[in-house]
Amino acid sequence: MLGFLFRRLGDIIPTFFGVTLLVFFLIRLIPGDPILMLAGERGVDAERYAELQAQYGFDQPIIVQYFDYLVGVFQGDLGKSFVTKRPVLDEFLTLFPATVELAIMGILFAVILGVPFGVLAAIHRGKWIDHLTMSLSLTGYSMPIFWWALLLIMFFSTTLGWTPVSGRISVMFFFEPVTGFMLIDSLLSGEKGAFSSAVSHLILPTVALGTIPMAVIARMTRSSMLEVLGEEYIRVARAKGLAPIRVIMVHALRNALIPVITVIGLQVGVLLAGAILTETIFSWPGIGKWIIEAMNRRDYPTIQGGILMIAFLVMAVNLIVDLLYGVVNPRIRHKR
Amino acid sequence: MSENTTPSAAHASNVAEAAVEPIGAPPSPLRETWDYFKKNRGALAGLIVIAIILFLALTAQWVAPFDPVAQDRTAFLKPPIWMEGADPRYILGTDAVGRDILSRLIHGAQLSVSIGVVVVILSMIAGIALGMVAGYFRGWVEVGVMRLMDIMLALPSLIMALAIVAILGPGLENAMLAIAIVQLPHYVRLTRASVVSELNKEYVIASQIAGAGHVRQMFVNILPNCMAPLIVQGTLGISSAILDAAALGFLGLGAQPPLPEWGTMLSEAREFVGSAWWVITFPGLCILVTVLAFNLMGDGLRDALDPKMKR
Amino acid sequence: MALLEVKNLTVEFGSEDKPFRAVDSVSYSVDRGEVLGIVGESGSGKSVSSLAVMGLIDFPGRVSADSLTFDGQDLLTMPAKRRREITGKDIAMIFQDPMSALNPCFTVEAQIMEALKVHEGGNKKQRRERTLELLNQVGIPDPKSRMTAYPHQLSGGMSQRIVIAMAIACKPRLLIADEPTTALDVTIQAQIIDLLLKLQEDSDMGLILITHDLALVSEAANRIQVMYAGQLFESGPADSIFAAPRHPYTQALLEALPERSEGHDRLRTIPGVVPGQYDRPAGCLLAPRCRYANESCVKARPEVSDFNGRDVRCFYPLNDQGQPTGMATGETV
Repeated sequence: MLGFLFRRLGDIIPTFFGVTLLVFFLIRLIPGDPILMLAGERGVDAERYAELQAQYGFDQPIIVQYFDYLVGVFQGDLGKSFVTKRPVLDEFLTLFPATVELAIMGILFAVILGVPFGVLAAIHRGKWIDHLTMSLSLTGYSMPIFWWALLLIMFFSTTLGWTPVSGRISVMFFFEPVTGFMLIDSLLSGEKGAFSSAVSHLILPTVALGTIPMAVIARMTRSSMLEVLGEEYIRVARAKGLAPIRVIMVHALRNALIPVITVIGLQVGVLLAGAILTETIFSWPGIGKWIIEAMNRRDYPTIQGGILMIAFLVMAVNLIVDLLYGVVNPRIRHKR
Repeated sequence: MSENTTPSAAHASNVAEAAVEPIGAPPSPLRETWDYFKKNRGALAGLIVIAIILFLALTAQWVAPFDPVAQDRTAFLKPPIWMEGADPRYILGTDAVGRDILSRLIHGAQLSVSIGVVVVILSMIAGIALGMVAGYFRGWVEVGVMRLMDIMLALPSLIMALAIVAILGPGLENAMLAIAIVQLPHYVRLTRASVVSELNKEYVIASQIAGAGHVRQMFVNILPNCMAPLIVQGTLGISSAILDAAALGFLGLGAQPPLPEWGTMLSEAREFVGSAWWVITFPGLCILVTVLAFNLMGDGLRDALDPKMKR
Repeated sequence: MALLEVKNLTVEFGSEDKPFRAVDSVSYSVDRGEVLGIVGESGSGKSVSSLAVMGLIDFPGRVSADSLTFDGQDLLTMPAKRRREITGKDIAMIFQDPMSALNPCFTVEAQIMEALKVHEGGNKKQRRERTLELLNQVGIPDPKSRMTAYPHQLSGGMSQRIVIAMAIACKPRLLIADEPTTALDVTIQAQIIDLLLKLQEDSDMGLILITHDLALVSEAANRIQVMYAGQLFESGPADSIFAAPRHPYTQALLEALPERSEGHDRLRTIPGVVPGQYDRPAGCLLAPRCRYANESCVKARPEVSDFNGRDVRCFYPLNDQGQPTGMATGETV
């Protein structure tokens, strides 16, 4: 198991440095002088120019600049936002819990619905229930989520008035964030109705964000399940006289979920990309909305830091998923 | 594959038979693929929808009833004709500045189809070249190229595209370039994998012995045998290009107004989410239907081209 | 009364109007303490017929029979739940490939204990003890440490012993072994067969041994059933079948045995393959491959009939000299 971990880490480390390189060059590839861009519309005199150049290290050779940048990254220094002048990492950490909360709900929604749909489709292969779930799944997979989110708002918020349109909680409530997770904070605050307000704010973004992963997971579960159901050990399990439900839920599903777990891991990237759109539409104060705002303001250190953090996040999640894969799949676990 | 290299009597008769078909002069494998493809009702539906969209895109100038950017100051936010208070001239209603939505959607088809096709062609050419070189020469070239692709894949596609647009600046051309770059790793990986598996086949070794040069080996001998998965990936690539371009347009980083790109139209329509459902519903529906059609066709092609699925 | 009684068992796949008969009106019976060998090439329907007995033929497949009884109980008409109580307890089955017969996600112990739990109940401790006992019985060295092993950590022979332990866990009265040694090394094959026969003798089980290996059943089986393309071709006591095959196919199978090829330059073979779904001959299914076939064989299909106390499906059963009887001389094609 430990050897497995080290092998995976060995794969990831070059990618890690590659991503830092990519992000480092991001700002240097922008046409035009970064200093002038920093200074904004007003422009700078020669003295201020040199000062800024020294401050950002632009007068150093490029290798030295990269090395300085790397050292900064390892010390948690991602630079300061041009706009707010706050450290990028601080801003990231403040907004991160909101995105995590949304992403967790999204993936839960996707797994809780996607896996049963896939199983159902597989055991009724070729029947109408299979066709229906797979058609819905392909539609979900092709859905532009920004439009889907708007449709949800149009129907559930403005027409039916069931859910709020934007934000994480009603403005009537105010409390200091403790964990940053609104569901937990609202419970901790002890204010009446705060929790249900937080829940109602979460529903639509969760559905919007979880739809594509749900469709992917349902399709994957179905094909993986079909493959496993054709295996000899399924026949052996039935030959033991086990009830069909036990054969499917214990013998088949356990094996079928192994590849599905990888797919769930891959969906985290999709989810973070989706969070950008979902957060923008629902005015959800998370890192997706933060990055888009930074793009519109050309706040390069924020864009740079945000992209770097997302890349780290995706790599970390993939690593965790790989390890999890080892836990559920004995064949991997015991390989040395 | 053997049908391609060893002409047999059966093969010759198939060619003769196929020559009568209107598709051109397809050899029997193409014919066979088509037979499988048309049995898949979903894929066929996708193909028909794509044909309609292509037709509209090609003839937009003549089919669309109005100029897509012409504003009618007497008709702001008119609903579709089956609603009360509609203006009978505007079948699907008008937007906030009085432009005909139907005309904008038809011209949008032109934009979306060209985005999809151009992106995939760009990305495929570069991807095939890189993957071919990596797979054919192996060694450090391969390590370098594949590492770079791993790095690109470490970022979710939309975020990678955003990063590139951040460098290049917003706009339709830049968005297309960004999406083409984002899709690159898929083609590189696919090409490399097929090339590596083809490289050890007898026919490659045979023509090497016969004195074929590197370029001939790569593009005349090996490439045609790697095309099937690339065609499938290309079809699916068109749908994700359209989707990503619309997302960038929606975020204000892709096609800029007044271009009638569907995502951009949605972005302009956002504020009417509570008042004018038609300005939101129709552009999104167009994206969904187009993307769905390409996905259906891609799935159908994959099943039809996959030798394991045959028989 | 026989333990298992199968009368005119038919298994069909495909559409209702043009079905493919994987098993075509096959009858046989097995008594307690008896070993029945079912012999045939790949595609002869021997596996499908035993799956039908186990109740493991899935939807598009259709099973029908005049009667299919186990210990006097009708397996076809009983409720599914009752049938599952018999399956795995009174009738157990061993499959061809031990490496794929064990679920890769569960330990050896869990898979054996599962069968015990469903049919015998008892507490976990009892089940674990019984599992250990079973592993000892099937000759697993160091059974305690193997209990918690995963299937991928076992060799093929070891896996097949586990599969056997799983099958005999609930002391079945009938055991169906479907090519239990095909996937194993030659050196292991004899061990596994010896183990099966010993278990069968010790507990007075009925055993159906399905194989394409005639030499194997000749030593192990009391009675032999030769199948071809879903049909029963010949059945009778093992020694008499070997001494004097009545069906040309049996004769050809015996001649293909390496030990009977002494004095010949090369091993004898049967040309061609078993007909599949699309290439069934109109007449006798063996006709294209039979050395004695004539025009009437190509036109009509023979029925099973009694010939010198043996069931044979042939127009011209062989006599003791191995020559077809009832055929006009010179008629051979």
